[in-house]
Amino acid sequence: MIKVRAVFEKKGRAKYISHLDLNRCMLRTFRRSGLPIWYTEGFNPHPYYSFALALSLGYESSCEILDFNLNEEIPYSEVMDKLNAVMPEGMRITSVTEPKLKITAIAKAEYTFSLVTDVTDKLFEDIKSMLGGEEILIEKKTKKGVKTVDIKPEMEVTGLECSADSVDVSMRLPAGTQTNYNPSLFFEALRNTGTVPFEPRIICRTAILCEDNSVFA
Amino acid sequence: MNLREKIEKHLLSVQKPSRYIGGEVGSVIKDKSKVDVRFAFCFPDTYDIGMSHLGIKILYSLKNSRENYWCERCFAPSEDFEAIMRENDIPLYALESLDPISEFDFIGFTMQYELSYTNVLNMLDLAGIPIFAKDRSDELKNIVVAGGPCVCNPEPLADFFDIFILGEGEEVNLELMDLFWEMKQQGATKHEFLLRASHLEGIYVPSFYEFSYKDDGTIAAVTPLNGAPATIRKRIIRDIDKVFYPENFVVPFTEIVHDRISVEVLRGCIRGCRFCQAGFIYRPFREKTSDTIVEEAKLLCENTGYDEISLASLSTSDHSDIDNMLTKLLDYTEKARINLSLPSLRVDNFSESLLEKIKKVRKSGLTFAAEGGTQRLRDVINKNVTEEEIMNTCRIAFEGGYSAVKLYFMMGLPTETDEDIVGIAELAQRVVDLYYSIENRPKGRGVQVSVSCATFVPKPFTPFQFEPQDTQEMIEHKQKLLLDSVKTKKVKVSYHDPSVSKLEVILAKGDRRLCKAVYTAWKKGCKFDSWGEYFHFDRWLEAFEECGIDPAFYANRRFGYDEILPWDHLDYFVSKEFFVRENKTAHNAVTTPNCRLRCSGCGVNKCVGRECFDKSQGRI
Repeated sequence: MIKVRAVFEKKGRAKYISHLDLNRCMLRTFRRSGLPIWYTEGFNPHPYYSFALALSLGYESSCEILDFNLNEEIPYSEVMDKLNAVMPEGMRITSVTEPKLKITAIAKAEYTFSLVTDVTDKLFEDIKSMLGGEEILIEKKTKKGVKTVDIKPEMEVTGLECSADSVDVSMRLPAGTQTNYNPSLFFEALRNTGTVPFEPRIICRTAILCEDNSVFA
Repeated sequence: MNLREKIEKHLLSVQKPSRYIGGEVGSVIKDKSKVDVRFAFCFPDTYDIGMSHLGIKILYSLKNSRENYWCERCFAPSEDFEAIMRENDIPLYALESLDPISEFDFIGFTMQYELSYTNVLNMLDLAGIPIFAKDRSDELKNIVVAGGPCVCNPEPLADFFDIFILGEGEEVNLELMDLFWEMKQQGATKHEFLLRASHLEGIYVPSFYEFSYKDDGTIAAVTPLNGAPATIRKRIIRDIDKVFYPENFVVPFTEIVHDRISVEVLRGCIRGCRFCQAGFIYRPFREKTSDTIVEEAKLLCENTGYDEISLASLSTSDHSDIDNMLTKLLDYTEKARINLSLPSLRVDNFSESLLEKIKKVRKSGLTFAAEGGTQRLRDVINKNVTEEEIMNTCRIAFEGGYSAVKLYFMMGLPTETDEDIVGIAELAQRVVDLYYSIENRPKGRGVQVSVSCATFVPKPFTPFQFEPQDTQEMIEHKQKLLLDSVKTKKVKVSYHDPSVSKLEVILAKGDRRLCKAVYTAWKKGCKFDSWGEYFHFDRWLEAFEECGIDPAFYANRRFGYDEILPWDHLDYFVSKEFFVRENKTAHNAVTTPNCRLRCSGCGVNKCVGRECFDKSQGRI
């Protein structure tokens, strides 16, 4: 059994494939590819594969991680070509390697998004003043009920730019087996503290990172 | 903002958005500047249901196999998305190009059941296309067509469509598109196109026929206009083994009702159950060879990645080479880790060896359509199944480890008495008793017999087309009687709302005067009539009353043998004389043997020009 880690993009129409549907979609993609996928043993054998992180419905990504096993050794480039030949529109494998790190090494994810508004300068100021504050409080639903969380310590803005019709942001948020924040928390906080309406557009996960900001591989 | 941006802006606020954006594996994208004819294939129900339909897959692939034609899919939006579409001026669009279907040359609907009629009107309205054919322009575009089983009596839809396509579509659809392209290049009008189309076999242009009525409300005459033929004959494919079959299906992201590959096994049916429309309108019986079936199954599995196959037919066990076919299929499916599911297996030729083969694959429920509670009634409807056969099959199943059986019945069948209803409960009880009499029955498990009882709907092109439906009061009495006759909790009874069946029969047997009522009902908010939560019979009754229509005239009246029926000008190969003969035989509780045993002279062989079963080919 050979362990394989693939990185794939999910863009365009493919961003409307929910996580549950993505599972089924991947199963069929493997079957179409004709690759010798390793099946689990036991009463109900099924192909083993797993996604490192779930991606919110409607988000794009250039860095999704898919682990699976093969029954025999096949050149990575061939694995990539065979899968890409049968992937749905908007999904494409960008690399196939042997897994180096354990999934638990994932600590953060980086996102980029544009906030569309008629008054970009005002929105830009709103964001800056929110980021300059002491804390950024949001209400987070948990199993035990709603609790107020300060997301500021864990949020790391890496880019903030004003364009013609939008403010473009990139930021790192905690991700992985422990804490998962997603940019919608930032939108919510900005709606609470800001002064102008905006619509998020093209939210894209651009990197999955380890604690030291190195790319998870 | 272009249409795609408009759609995407709202997509995340609706349920299962992947239904509205396309992009599935197997969907066909072409450059619209390079195609000559565009066809929007519309299914008048939601994506989850429409995508499960086999016909759309066949015709989609077929049309797209022609480089210069582009066929796209379109479904009825669910209520949440429809509200958004109406609020934000999003017109009904096709899933491949995301272009409005009002830009298409053909807008084609498949009419699978009567309760989807209002959805057609709603979809045309969402598309911004005038609902009545007479209100649409004479420009050669937006030809609204329909096919499918319901168009064997399309009169209640006649005012909304330009063309009905009768019978099997594989050849005539392309002929129609060819004619369209030829005439489009000549700059013809829609009327000129319809004139020529009306001479293609299988093409019915309803506006070229005038109906007149007698004082008693029955039809006086159907008069063809513009030189259209007096009768329109359905199309069939002569060589079913060679007919186009898709090598690929569109593979949806979201889960749909039938989320698997369908491989067609045969068309038509030899049985002649007198209530069954499909058993007559799809004649003659034709089967694919086992090799073709296995080949098509393999190709589809490889191209789609599905891991489940079902065999599509009216009665798979009537395939003359069933054992060999299943053996070959199972050889492949076992190796390729694919599930094989087999619907439509009849009780009477359900052999132990066949059951053994199916058991190897998967243990699923057992379902038997007994249809009638007593042997007399089963003889009336020509369901040639005896109680002994039902018991035998159940015994084999119970000994093989099954402990749940579903039995399907109908209520309100011709000549039915209270005794026949009590007979349903008694039959179910005997199945329960049988279970406990078997020594090697499944250990530690009780038996569960589910009795499902539908209300009989007499349909056109069946021997029962003349029959009245039981009134709602009669059905309610019978439902209560059945419930009172069941004495054990091991038998569970379920039945349908009789008002749904009443609407079904009115639309199935109705004539052209019903178009107004369909329109009025839709105006009153009726749509998705087949979905319990959207069914408003009161609105339909109001619509009938406002349009001066007496529902009982269609639902509860016996149609005369000599009466001109609304579908008499359509030729589905089976003669009216045969239906009259069969109707009389039914009332004498006499059965008719299946077509393999003896030809009963339904008339199909005359239309086809050959015997249905060629003994020299060993296909009997």
